[in-house]
Amino acid sequence: MIRAIALASICAVAPMGAAAHQLTVFAATDCEMVTVEAKFSNGNPVMLADVRVLDGNNTLLMTLPINEDGTVAIPLDSVDHSGGLVIEVDTGSHDNYWIVTPDDIARSCQS
Amino acid sequence: MPLLRPFLAVVLTLLAASSVAAQDRPRVVAVNYPLQYFAERLVGDAAEVIFPVPADVDPSFWRPSIADISTIQSADLILLNGAGFATWVDRVSLPRANVLNTTAAIEDQFIRTESITHSHGDGDEHSHEGLASYTWLDPMLAIAQAEAVAAAITARGIAPDDAVATRLDALRADLTELDRQATGAFDGMQDIAMIATHPRYQYLAQRYGLSISSLEWEAGAMPTDAERAELAALVAQTGAQVLIWEAAPPAEAFGVASDMGLANIVFPTLAHGVDGRDYMQAVVEALTAVSDAKLQ
Repeated sequence: MIRAIALASICAVAPMGAAAHQLTVFAATDCEMVTVEAKFSNGNPVMLADVRVLDGNNTLLMTLPINEDGTVAIPLDSVDHSGGLVIEVDTGSHDNYWIVTPDDIARSCQS
Repeated sequence: MPLLRPFLAVVLTLLAASSVAAQDRPRVVAVNYPLQYFAERLVGDAAEVIFPVPADVDPSFWRPSIADISTIQSADLILLNGAGFATWVDRVSLPRANVLNTTAAIEDQFIRTESITHSHGDGDEHSHEGLASYTWLDPMLAIAQAEAVAAAITARGIAPDDAVATRLDALRADLTELDRQATGAFDGMQDIAMIATHPRYQYLAQRYGLSISSLEWEAGAMPTDAERAELAALVAQTGAQVLIWEAAPPAEAFGVASDMGLANIVFPTLAHGVDGRDYMQAVVEALTAVSDAKLQ
């Protein structure tokens, strides 16, 4: 899992500039699970938020509460991920998203 | 008729070959119109250049679909503007080897924007510093971005080195000429306070020594009563004599500004292209509007 997250981190492009992201969302997949992390821009984890999982047609698949450490794990076999997934994190006052493409998932299964 | 069949076969073969060639061309994705324009001029026919943002969506805040990101991930070169432009680039995985941040070499010239102060839950009040993103409005920074694009195209073998070098020389000359024209157009306007309908002109103002305050109006829209009051207050505060519109509003909107003693200038930021004009034509047209406003 750690290796998969590290690999996904390497593949991801570092944020450009110190721009106005009050909430940062990151999702990594290891072929079995999508692990979502949400932090405020001061580094503090998000402790209270809804995590919405949408499919490639923007249809809501499930809504989960985030854990107190600012993470949540979504088993891939619990959702139809064939068209990719959009992960939205909404704290009520801030929201942001991460897009997981079918290729992201396929690559994670090859590593 | 006997001759027709071989002729059709040849035509179909040629069509098929050209279709395959088009599909086989490398693909370059750009996050805004200036980078699309620079890339198209630099690659010629050697690559397909794609700017995927719909015309009615602000490229700074576009939210791509999964299919959009799949297309972008498979591109041979992905041109980012940097300076915080295009928020979506921080919300997806992009193949690092194919990504170019076109402002990486000019980060020391970035303009930091005012902070937004707020707090999270019980946390202390704090602020976020932003960056002005519309770097290409300074033609010298645009040249640096074009040079970065040219280097990336060459390094990846997307187009022949000598052809790219020749095209870069021509593009650099055109942007230098734009700078010369802009210097002339803005000459004498350094002491004239201006207001822009959107905070997008920081690099333009810095390059030509202009004083531009900003509103947060929707591009091309008729200002509401509240927005008119906001404009009147800003005119009173700054003594502004010019209103810069990001996109042409309804004709009555010009009258609203004129009634406040403001000269109207439409100066597109070119994050999207302007219908019927290329990058150079659109900027020259805007500079002509500046010169005309000066004569009034």
